[in-house]
Amino acid sequence: MKKIIILITILALAACKSDSKNEQLDLKNASWQQIETEALGKTVNMMMWAGDPKINDYMKNYVAPAVKEKYDIDLEISSGQGNTIVQLLMTEMQAGKDGNVDMMWINGETFYQLRQINGLHGPFVDQLPNSQFVDLDNPFIGKDFQEPIEGMEAPWGNVQMTLIYDSEKTDQLPQSREELLAFAKANPNKFTFDNQFTGLTFMKALLIDIAGGEQALAGDFNEKKYGKYSKALWAYLRELKPYLWKKGETFPEDVAQMHQLFASGELLMTMSNNDAEVDNKINEGLFPESARAYVPEFGTIQNSHYLGIAKNAVDKAAAMAVINFMISPEAQLKKQNPEVWGDGTVLDLDKLPGDFKTKFQNIPARKYAPKRSEIQKNALQELAPEYMIRLAEDFRKEIING
Amino acid sequence: MKKVLQILFALSIVFPIGFLVVLSLGRNWPYPVVLPKSLSLENWSFLQQSDSELWQTFLLSLLISIIVATATTALAFVTSKQLAQSKYRNKLMLLAYIPYVLSPVILAATLQYYFIYASLSGSVAGVLLAQVFIAYPFAVIILNNFWNHKIKSMEELSRTLGSSSWQTFKKVLIPVSKNALLLCFFQTFLISWFEFGLTNLIGVGSVQTLTVKVFSYVNEANIFYAALASCLLIVPPMILIWLNKKYIFATETVI
Amino acid sequence: MIKKLSIAIFILIAAVPVLLGLGYALMYSLGLTGILSEGFTTTHWEETLITTTFWKSLGFSLYIALVVMLISLFFSLWIVISWIKQLNKGSLSYITYLPLAFPAIVMAFFSFQLLSKSGFMSRVVYKMGWIDSLEQFPDWTNDEFGISIIFSLCLLITPFFIILYSNLYQNERIAELKALAITLGAKPSQVIFKVIVPILLKKSAFTIMLFVIFIMGTYEIPLLLGRQNPSMLSVFIVQKLQKFNLADIPQAYAIAVIYILLIASIIALVYKTRPTFFNSSSSS
Repeated sequence: MKKIIILITILALAACKSDSKNEQLDLKNASWQQIETEALGKTVNMMMWAGDPKINDYMKNYVAPAVKEKYDIDLEISSGQGNTIVQLLMTEMQAGKDGNVDMMWINGETFYQLRQINGLHGPFVDQLPNSQFVDLDNPFIGKDFQEPIEGMEAPWGNVQMTLIYDSEKTDQLPQSREELLAFAKANPNKFTFDNQFTGLTFMKALLIDIAGGEQALAGDFNEKKYGKYSKALWAYLRELKPYLWKKGETFPEDVAQMHQLFASGELLMTMSNNDAEVDNKINEGLFPESARAYVPEFGTIQNSHYLGIAKNAVDKAAAMAVINFMISPEAQLKKQNPEVWGDGTVLDLDKLPGDFKTKFQNIPARKYAPKRSEIQKNALQELAPEYMIRLAEDFRKEIING
Repeated sequence: MKKVLQILFALSIVFPIGFLVVLSLGRNWPYPVVLPKSLSLENWSFLQQSDSELWQTFLLSLLISIIVATATTALAFVTSKQLAQSKYRNKLMLLAYIPYVLSPVILAATLQYYFIYASLSGSVAGVLLAQVFIAYPFAVIILNNFWNHKIKSMEELSRTLGSSSWQTFKKVLIPVSKNALLLCFFQTFLISWFEFGLTNLIGVGSVQTLTVKVFSYVNEANIFYAALASCLLIVPPMILIWLNKKYIFATETVI
Repeated sequence: MIKKLSIAIFILIAAVPVLLGLGYALMYSLGLTGILSEGFTTTHWEETLITTTFWKSLGFSLYIALVVMLISLFFSLWIVISWIKQLNKGSLSYITYLPLAFPAIVMAFFSFQLLSKSGFMSRVVYKMGWIDSLEQFPDWTNDEFGISIIFSLCLLITPFFIILYSNLYQNERIAELKALAITLGAKPSQVIFKVIVPILLKKSAFTIMLFVIFIMGTYEIPLLLGRQNPSMLSVFIVQKLQKFNLADIPQAYAIAVIYILLIASIIALVYKTRPTFFNSSSSS
């Protein structure tokens, strides 16, 4: 009986705990100094894709200690992305409760869905002192999946997708859809793409190519165009399917698994949304030194990733302080180093104070990935979010279950 | 022939343990090398730092499992005795079997809303409660069989001899049920220790138990750390099982 | 007083959560709750019931459960009947218990590292010169027959049954029955197939059924070793809940409702036909 009472007491205490933390500050009109003061000593829960050891290491061993020192903030990271975040937030809002997650790493389609359910706090970006350095005029940064970010999420990194291959095993790089098909036919079971963000981004590039290139699908979602070109895409993928890894009956669940398959030689190619990935995976010892990355002539998507704050976040001020640090020149500099993560900066180098511009220019060059300036010409802009949501859904129907 | 087969059988059981230990010591394992190229204690060495993350995870898991096992065993011991004497015993047991076989992760998915509503999700308290929901029916089922006529007559005898119900409980029931209680403790400990899906959903990934950790290492394709965390996961159960086997009658086993 | 309180606590912890969960899932699947809901509708149920993926998932789960059960029963009976003496004493009796220390997630990780194309087995076979490249190694992970799923589950479950049967063997005095049957002139094979196996199976029928249900709901192993289609029930539900289109969430709950009701009705059915299963000390 005593045990029960203790248990019930513990649970009751736990239940009351979070209700006492009510927001006092009027955040939207607060000065940055007030926000910083409010942020001191709080705990921030961040939800992010945690499928890459280098990224996890950067967050846990660089960002977390830094905000701890600066603001005494405990940054706690949990794993989750896309719909997991949206579903959690939806359930929390339905229950009318404070969030378990304060801030999250998001991309276009999640941004779109979160705005649909009105799940984001903001606009807040302009309040961050470091936002003055962000290159918002760059359409690859200031727009997320064709949507202006309007201060509702802070740009964090900018990357372009590359295909990764082993230069000792492959010398004829497929540059077009036809060549890719021929490549898969010549090397059955050796090519695939993952079932998540990376694979979908790859399919979007194919869709743009089918539709006739860069500008063909620009602007708002167009049902008619989608219907027409996606049909061609499924026809193409169905032709490709029997030559894919495991005959295209299943796909790697995550890009990390695809890297593993490439490293062991089970695949001839892997791909990455981060153009510097090949360098950091060689440094890590996962990929052979003969691994290289390239962008096929039909182009690949260049996009940015962002940081958002949940509308029901408990410590929004603290989340803002953390985000402000994450877009600071020093944190961005560290992040862009291929030894660390190699994630492209979202800052406009000409705006940076002091000698940061030189520092950015002196980041040890990546050895194995192509130069950013070289692949920029084949960079495609992201499509409206509905394209990705529909592709994900139809990919499952047409290809996985088909 | 029989001997050879038995040795093979034993090897097949010991092999996974050895394999995981070797992987946990490894670095650099390109195909087609059979064993990792470098083997060292490097992966393990960071466990020595008392503030290392994996060490904290280990302690957190241990704490959660001990609390769940203690609470459910104690609660089930008291309640199952009453249930066993109830005229609805069979019907009540029927109710216990549903959560017993129900997939914990599905139960968690249907309960997520309530946990969020009660501000329990993402907290250790929430994970504890959710684990009690699945461990308690298990404990009741284990202990249900223990309350038979023999125990009942011992209890009655003790009463006839003039002891109070508390004395009977303490001096008679607890000692005779020591083995059943230990078994129940072990079983519920293991349920909690092994649980992944429910813990991950209710804990929203921020209550990092060892299983959650193994999964996240597997997810980032970090096989050596995944192996290391796996080793940490199988050590405590092995100790428990060894104790169980050594000190408790072999006949009282799982299910 | 204590009795009523105990029953209340029992119902509160064991039955109420299941009922609450079932209620929420039912409401959600009928469009009665959830941020995106637009009022009562049966479309989610219709969609769930007509899509083949759900039925495939259910069928695949049942297939895995039955195959695992058959293999595990075969090995556990065989091992217990032929090695009963060694299982009760000596090192074998200890070793048999070791697999119980393996959580499903570790077993899944182990199986993947052992059986995948670039796994340990493939490397050994390559070294022996049986294959020239890893592509020649068979597809055992993320494969269409769920081979590595079955492998992992058998490793987890066979030891349970070995222990169960070696205990039943003693409790049911099978050694004596065996001696008796031999005296009466039965052949060794007759003793095994007409006496020992039927007794053990009959005594464990309820446990076997529980395990079949239990395997159907297993999560971690198919999560790591399975493929996207068909996927086992738990994986299917969680993915519909968290990974797929947001409009699919009600369907995830509809499947959860079906799953919970299925389990409840199987157990209720057993209760109706064999109430003793719920009240015997013989189920050890």
